[in-house]
Amino acid sequence: MIQRIAAIVRADVLVRFRRFSTLVIFLLLSASALLWVPDPKTGRTLISIGGHRALYNSGSIGMATAMLASIFVGLFGFYVISNAVRRDVMTRCGFVAASTEMRTHEYLLGKFLGNVVFLTTFMTGFMLAAMVMLIIRAEAPLQPLVFASQYAILIPSTIVFVSVLAILFESIPWLSGRFGDVVYFFFWAAALGVVVNSLEHGGSRWLLYFDFNGFGYLFEFTKNVWHTKNMSIGQTSFDVKQAPVVVQGLWLNREWFLMRLASTLAPLPLLGIALLFFHRFDPARVRIGGEKGKRSWIGMLNRMTKPFVRPFTALAMRGGAASDAALTIASTPIIAVTAIAFAIAALAGSDVSVPAFCALGIFVADIATRERRAGTLGFVYSAPKLKSQFVMWKFTSSLIVALFVMAIPLLRGAPAPSPARIVAVFFVCAAATSLGVISGNPKTFIVVYLTLWYVSVSDKGATPSLNFAAFQRVPPSAVVAGYFAASIALLVAAEGMHRRILRRT
Amino acid sequence: MLKLESVTKRFRGGNYGVRDLSLDINGGVLGLLGPNGAGKTTLMQMIATITKPTSGSITFRGADLARDPDALRRKLGYLPQDFGVYDNLTAIEFLSYFASLKGVRSRARVQEMLELVNLHSVSNRAIGGFSGGMKQRLGIAQALINDPELVIVDEPTAGLDPEERVRFRNVLSDLGAGKLVILSTHIVSDIESIATHIAIMREGRLVSLAAPEDLLRGAEGNVWEMIVSSDRYDELRRTAKVSTALRKSDGVHVRIVSRDRPSSEASIAEPSLEDAFLYTMSYAA
Repeated sequence: MIQRIAAIVRADVLVRFRRFSTLVIFLLLSASALLWVPDPKTGRTLISIGGHRALYNSGSIGMATAMLASIFVGLFGFYVISNAVRRDVMTRCGFVAASTEMRTHEYLLGKFLGNVVFLTTFMTGFMLAAMVMLIIRAEAPLQPLVFASQYAILIPSTIVFVSVLAILFESIPWLSGRFGDVVYFFFWAAALGVVVNSLEHGGSRWLLYFDFNGFGYLFEFTKNVWHTKNMSIGQTSFDVKQAPVVVQGLWLNREWFLMRLASTLAPLPLLGIALLFFHRFDPARVRIGGEKGKRSWIGMLNRMTKPFVRPFTALAMRGGAASDAALTIASTPIIAVTAIAFAIAALAGSDVSVPAFCALGIFVADIATRERRAGTLGFVYSAPKLKSQFVMWKFTSSLIVALFVMAIPLLRGAPAPSPARIVAVFFVCAAATSLGVISGNPKTFIVVYLTLWYVSVSDKGATPSLNFAAFQRVPPSAVVAGYFAASIALLVAAEGMHRRILRRT
Repeated sequence: MLKLESVTKRFRGGNYGVRDLSLDINGGVLGLLGPNGAGKTTLMQMIATITKPTSGSITFRGADLARDPDALRRKLGYLPQDFGVYDNLTAIEFLSYFASLKGVRSRARVQEMLELVNLHSVSNRAIGGFSGGMKQRLGIAQALINDPELVIVDEPTAGLDPEERVRFRNVLSDLGAGKLVILSTHIVSDIESIATHIAIMREGRLVSLAAPEDLLRGAEGNVWEMIVSSDRYDELRRTAKVSTALRKSDGVHVRIVSRDRPSSEASIAEPSLEDAFLYTMSYAA
């Protein structure tokens, strides 16, 4: 049993770490640690507590970067690791594995541990880079054990949580695709604040035993040890007139230890649910899962609305971007249903921009990647000009779908139509096309875009640079121009990558 | 060794993959022939214990596989259709992975398999750079690593060039006595020289199970050859079961499978396995 689990973990880790994209992400993530520890002379710092800057020592930098790492792992980690089972379906290696004496729980446990090892390695790289920053800033000597203990207190629960959920989502057919990607994002966003919000409003402390990202514990710790609720982490300003405070970092008393331990172990029973749903590569069940949600409610809705989008099927037979857009709508009729719903709401005077921009991102996410993932890129490339103009073709196709969904909300929505929202639509389509072409995977765009959307909606327009779609107030012209420039830059990058891929192949 | 009794696989939605199929076979190479969609892959997946029959039973050496799949799994080698690989692993890492899954601990065995499929010289190279044939040979190496008693290979020669096809066929025919090899294909020449039994499937049903000699004997007197003009050949293609056609200076040499003489100038020919397969597909109940 141990031999088989070890083999699965080893193969999984080797496959992932030998990918060029993994190396790039690893280096980028490690390098990002360097950005989080600004020079205090710039007026910014990593942690501010009640306006005081925390002196850069092992405790403070370790705690703050571990907190940031917990967010990265929680959000991006899921999308990076949630392909372990799918890979075995695609390569058919899973079918061979299923014909051996390997037990299903051994397989899922191996995949889970593979996720844990992978994310732990990433976090170790991030931690080492953060240690280097402590040495560079030279305000206190490096205490490796103190530094590492901050990570040991905060990170394991997040890693286990994400690793379990990735396996669970891959095991449940209707959560194993794009719908699951979107569901996870909102699940993560809800989990991010639920413990802290509950504690702030006098809620029960038992939630601290399910504090997967460590925010609840951090809230408790700062309140009880530092006697403040006012702490900012990550490139924050501070009062330069106030003396820096020395933060020794996080520690655990008996109760906190139990809470952190429980939070780390609590997600594990979800592996049991994964075991119940897991198909063990039974072709009859894999096929059902693979077909676009035939048994899910989205699949049912798509089938029910199929007759209404027949005209799009006819349009799709024609050439060009319009046909690709029509194909998108014909194959996912829920787009048409949503567009009609938004149009009715907008005509009634409602501002539907928040849900509409969310839906838009989901609808256009895989337009640029579907041929590559379905293995039909060769057919497409054999059509005149599509090979050389692939990026523009996909961008235009996304834009047509976007206008189909957004035209009436853009024209009739409240507040009055603004150039900012038109540029926002342009930006969403450019980003979806660009990230799709560059990464070959719709998940990249989904996670990046939904994060931007979520932050922008939560920020309520307070930070103009984040207010890409004029959700609460109209952003300054410079911001609108910036998003337009970013759109162009994204398309240029995609074109460059596309040409590079063509040269290589 | 392997016995199937009234095995049926019905998918959700009502489609049948396999219908009421029975067979009993002890050893040798069983060539599973049939057109695409005949149910060959579904049958092999059921035997490989990846999916369960909707009804009927499959037993291996007396053990019911629905109740005790491990009775077969420890003695099974399986190479699925369209087998892919982990591109970033080396051949030796890939093979070691499957060896571990099958409980094989010997490093020497891994090396021995790589030598068997002639990949030992590239054992430390990433598989991503291998040709289709090399990947397929690696696939058969993983299937054989646990010295199986039953080897199931599903369309193993699809996409291979002629040289690789021959090499692959030789590997299978050298497997040795005492084993049962089930090889599915829709290309008759893949099994012509190595099959000891041939099962022909159509629309999920077993149409015939016989030794190649018996299959050939059954088609005797029903295969015709004649030389026709190009125009006549076009007409024949529409009206008769043309097995092979070869254009030569004196016209088109055609072989026709038919119970009746297709034309007065047609003469009886000795059937090939391809002819026998066509005959069985056309005339078997």
